[in-house]
Amino acid sequence: MDEKIHLDLQDFSEEQFMESFLKEIQSEEAVFILGIFLALALVVLTVVFFGNFWGSSKARNAVLLLGLCDSGKTLLFTRLLLGKFVRTQTSITESSATYKSKDDRGGSWTLIDVPGHESLRVQIVEKHKAVARAVVFVVDSSIFQKDVRDVAEFLYSILTDNIVAKNAPTLVVACNKQDISMAKSAKLIQQQLEKEMNTLRLTRSAALSSQDGAVGGSVYLGKKGKDFEFSQLPNRVEFIECSARGSKDDGGADIDAIEKCLAKL
Amino acid sequence: MLDFFSIFSKGGIVLWCFQGAGVSESFTGPVNALIRSVILQERSGNNSFTHNALSLKYKLDNEFELVFVVGFQKILTLTYVDKFIDDVQLHFRDRYKNELEQRGALKFLLNNFEFGDDFHRLLREAEVSSKAKAPASMRNFNESEKSKKTVKSMIETKDGDKSKEQGGKKSKNAKKEGEKCKRLSIKQITKANGNEGLTQEEIIERNRAKFISKHKISVVLYSKSPKPQKPKGKVNRVWDMSGKSIGELDYSGTNGNNSSDAQNQDPDATAEPFLHLNLLHLQLIWNVHSVWFLCRAKKGGFGGMFGMLKGLVGSKNLTQEDMEPVLEKMRDHLIAKNVAAEISSQLCNSVAKKLEGKVMGTFTTVASTVKQALQDSLVQILQPKRRVDILRDVLEARSQRKPFVITFCGVNGVGKSTNLAKISYWLIENGFTVLIAACDTFRAGAVEQLRTHQRRLNSLHPLEKHGGQPAVQLFEKGYGKDAAGIAMEAIAFARNQVFDVVLIDTAGRMQDNGPLMTALAKLIAVNTPDLVLFVGEALVGNEAVDQLVKFNQALADHSKTDKPRLIDGIVLTKFDTIDDKVGAAISMTYITGQPIVFVGTGQTYSDLRSLNARAVVSALMKA
Repeated sequence: MDEKIHLDLQDFSEEQFMESFLKEIQSEEAVFILGIFLALALVVLTVVFFGNFWGSSKARNAVLLLGLCDSGKTLLFTRLLLGKFVRTQTSITESSATYKSKDDRGGSWTLIDVPGHESLRVQIVEKHKAVARAVVFVVDSSIFQKDVRDVAEFLYSILTDNIVAKNAPTLVVACNKQDISMAKSAKLIQQQLEKEMNTLRLTRSAALSSQDGAVGGSVYLGKKGKDFEFSQLPNRVEFIECSARGSKDDGGADIDAIEKCLAKL
Repeated sequence: MLDFFSIFSKGGIVLWCFQGAGVSESFTGPVNALIRSVILQERSGNNSFTHNALSLKYKLDNEFELVFVVGFQKILTLTYVDKFIDDVQLHFRDRYKNELEQRGALKFLLNNFEFGDDFHRLLREAEVSSKAKAPASMRNFNESEKSKKTVKSMIETKDGDKSKEQGGKKSKNAKKEGEKCKRLSIKQITKANGNEGLTQEEIIERNRAKFISKHKISVVLYSKSPKPQKPKGKVNRVWDMSGKSIGELDYSGTNGNNSSDAQNQDPDATAEPFLHLNLLHLQLIWNVHSVWFLCRAKKGGFGGMFGMLKGLVGSKNLTQEDMEPVLEKMRDHLIAKNVAAEISSQLCNSVAKKLEGKVMGTFTTVASTVKQALQDSLVQILQPKRRVDILRDVLEARSQRKPFVITFCGVNGVGKSTNLAKISYWLIENGFTVLIAACDTFRAGAVEQLRTHQRRLNSLHPLEKHGGQPAVQLFEKGYGKDAAGIAMEAIAFARNQVFDVVLIDTAGRMQDNGPLMTALAKLIAVNTPDLVLFVGEALVGNEAVDQLVKFNQALADHSKTDKPRLIDGIVLTKFDTIDDKVGAAISMTYITGQPIVFVGTGQTYSDLRSLNARAVVSALMKA
């Protein structure tokens, strides 16, 4: 009997509690609900803000070192990072490291050295092309005449890639190996490349479509009807001369021009 | 003796190198050739390679992304090189473990890898060990076993068992004595021979006593050596009512009626030690397990549970045994997709070599890592190793005022003539003039077939577009003539009449047919075409390997120059007839290393495509 009464009392007190709670809410209704909405809005804003911030910081802070085999990319990579000379072999995998430009103003970038071998370069460029802020295309100036078609084809395939064309990264064509006496100048290389790219525009657009119906890179470089020139591209293009090895093996390399370019990014 | 030894990272930075005395030329060239032809073409199954006069052996370290290469003269046969490379690798890893475990490419540049002293020491040890194995010297007569036997024991008589036994026991005795002290003295021989006087039982007793005293085995088990009776052996289990009664089949202790017979056979004396053994066994198992747990925990770095969890989640090294089942499955999968059998196994071996010792990321399984690596290597194989742009090359030839010559070769019935017509259609569409040379002077109707194609193509492309000249012309000299001669005349004609491209159609021939292969090789060697295309159908399976190898062999053998013209490209035909089984593409590119230039996907003029490596590999890896 006692227990029963005790229970009843308990029920009664709970009811009262609920009622009083509801009353309280109704009294402070406006402020309470307003508070909730404000909090939700703040949360949404923060999420959106951080999403954008992260997105932008993730994107495009990489500098890709591209080029044919034996053009001097790995040595250039070492010179830019540490300034010292190392012996190199053909790269099998890509190397990446953080590069801080010598000026205080310049930011820091991720420098990625992509192997030049034909069977590797396509896959590795696929992986990193979305985050490329700049492309340093290294050209071997001493054997350029022989390789002009291969160089142009590689450059063309990079520039007509959909993602690269959309992002329009800065293009720096580094005419390497200037220490060899037969090296061509940057101006000559630019002219030859323009001529070659002109021809490639024709032949590559007439190329066969691939077997599942996809047509590669429908980007048209430059202006229709006029000869191709690098100035017609939306990207910022610069041709500079450099020598990763330097005139003596231990001497300083002549890469100041590249460093200035990178600092300007 | 070694010409050079080089340790470099997979990113291309040389960490340490050694150049043998008297070697003047740099080793960069041979090592680059090794990388290009072996590692990048997924042929890393066997780890040696020859380049001119040098023989190169290499080893990949996948955990720290290093490559170890040693080079020596081909004529020397150095036996210690394999083991030497392994030793150097282990030594280098142990010594520079801290530096190599840092992340990023800077670790290779910032640290100084001074390995010279260790290297020379290891080299000296290896050279010494290879010389140290002197041949075993022959034993002299006294030490041989023959001297221990008596003449009598070696005589075979009809009832010679007894005498043999006696002799046998004597020799056993003598041998035991000989084992104790390594030389057999004459005294002991006479002692052994003195046994002849005793009776057989006495001899047995004496031997047994000696045996026990020498080996000190617990006598308990051996005291009952004359066993009263041998156990009966296996008794056939009788199934009453074919075993349908469950009650009868229950052989547990409580229901011991049927089993009591069997159990009574075992002597009681052995039951106790058996039990004792069981307990011992259990205790041993428990000890082993606890020790194993502790070891694993210690390896993990933290104590107890954390160590084991770490081993489950990440940072585990891949070993050959881990990868073996996955690779087996992958090999069968590739073979099911029409990749040639030996190429599948070579590919899987190469992937295993590339992944051995690699540290897996978190939450990745062995299967996914292996599949990803296999996919990457397949895409790598299908990527062309040189620039493939026929139109650009034709323009180049046009600017040099000579025709661009393409030759089509292959076995019977793969689609050479059909695809030749498709390619000429494509070239005409792009504004070039084409001359078709009918060098198939054997097959009935071959020339007429090409003439029909020529007429059709000309009607599709009116004359005005090509400056009044017909777009396609056929150069033929009928049947039965020499194909090489016709080709030469066709090229001269094209040069005179300023044609852009010459397409040479040859007769289909089996790769085993000696005279025909010689004729083809002669055609190619004499006319030096700009492009030699091998036409292969996508339906072919293991035959593709044989065809390509023999064709290349024939072209290399019958060419007079030291740089023979081999197959430059592949035309893969009848691609529309296979759905997923695209393995022939892999087989052909793997064998030759040349790209697939055209893909034929049907029987009309517009059914010509280029290869999309990614699409082919995804079709190949699809379950």
